[in-house]
Amino acid sequence: MAFEAFFLPTAAGHRFALLHGPNAPTKHCGAVVYVPPFAEELNKSRRMAALQARAMATAGYTVLQMDLLGCGDSSADFGDATWEAWLADVELACDWLQQQTAAPLWLWGQRTGCLLANEAANRMGRPVNLLFWQPVVSGKQFLQQFLRLKLAAGILGGESKGVTERLRKQLQQGKSVEVAGYLLSPALAAGLEKAELLLPHRSGRVEWIEISSRPDASLSPAALARLTQWQAAGQHVRSNLVNGPAFWQTSEISECPALLDASLMAMSETVAA
Amino acid sequence: MDIKGEVVAVLDEVLSLKGRARGFSLNTPLLGAIPELDSMAVVALITTLEERFGFTVDDDEIDGSVFASLASLIDFVQGKLAA
Repeated sequence: MAFEAFFLPTAAGHRFALLHGPNAPTKHCGAVVYVPPFAEELNKSRRMAALQARAMATAGYTVLQMDLLGCGDSSADFGDATWEAWLADVELACDWLQQQTAAPLWLWGQRTGCLLANEAANRMGRPVNLLFWQPVVSGKQFLQQFLRLKLAAGILGGESKGVTERLRKQLQQGKSVEVAGYLLSPALAAGLEKAELLLPHRSGRVEWIEISSRPDASLSPAALARLTQWQAAGQHVRSNLVNGPAFWQTSEISECPALLDASLMAMSETVAA
Repeated sequence: MDIKGEVVAVLDEVLSLKGRARGFSLNTPLLGAIPELDSMAVVALITTLEERFGFTVDDDEIDGSVFASLASLIDFVQGKLAA
């Protein structure tokens, strides 16, 4: 496995990037761009993303992981980030990777990263496959859950009522709000709130994987509804459910080995047209 | 449904307690007593309980008293299921 860490120059500063690839260029299965989840979920997921990137590289994929604007070691602060800037970053990552390799392109999204990956794929209008990890289907619902972090912090401090309404009002007035140590700009909140997991651009296939720690689990109702709708529209989409912890939100950094295997399996299998 | 068992399992997973939650009694205090229970964990707990039991929690139902002890958390879940 070959590994490289570098900064990608952009019109708005640089982006920190990690590139994992196979040693032998002869066996080249695909080019993968990882689209990370939101705020603290990104930090909690770094270990799983790294493990998966390495596993993909060993299996013959070239994988680019790029910190989006205002995240990790990339330029700017989280408070400067907007949904549009992140979409531009995903496109930039795809362009860069496709200059390095002609292998089929995959966008591997996690949580809200699936919303970004899906939208970016629609805009690019070129063949791209999508691998989704526990997709967020509604940005609006996700934003509500994110704002709840402030509410929960309020409970711990003894005050709670009306916290989320106050935050929403501030955002509507064009002011940034601070939630769990992240400065959320009105532009980012608005972009996230509008984002919906809509029918993908039909040039590739979708591999949708959910994770549950429940032994008798089934796919979430939200996922089932979306999958049924997409299949009816002729989109090639498959779903899978693996057993493991919700590693993007557990207190300690946790691993879900079944997800690593399931992802590789989903990507390697060909789909009957 | 074994509500207590499910709530304990959710607590154990979300807070990464590695089985410690199985030793909790109904009187075990949660908020302020378990260091892992920070704001992110509270939200993760609510989200996971919503998914696991299939109910929706409104923001104004979220109150410190819900997370006071294992008994209060189970009461809350039972109340939501009965609603």
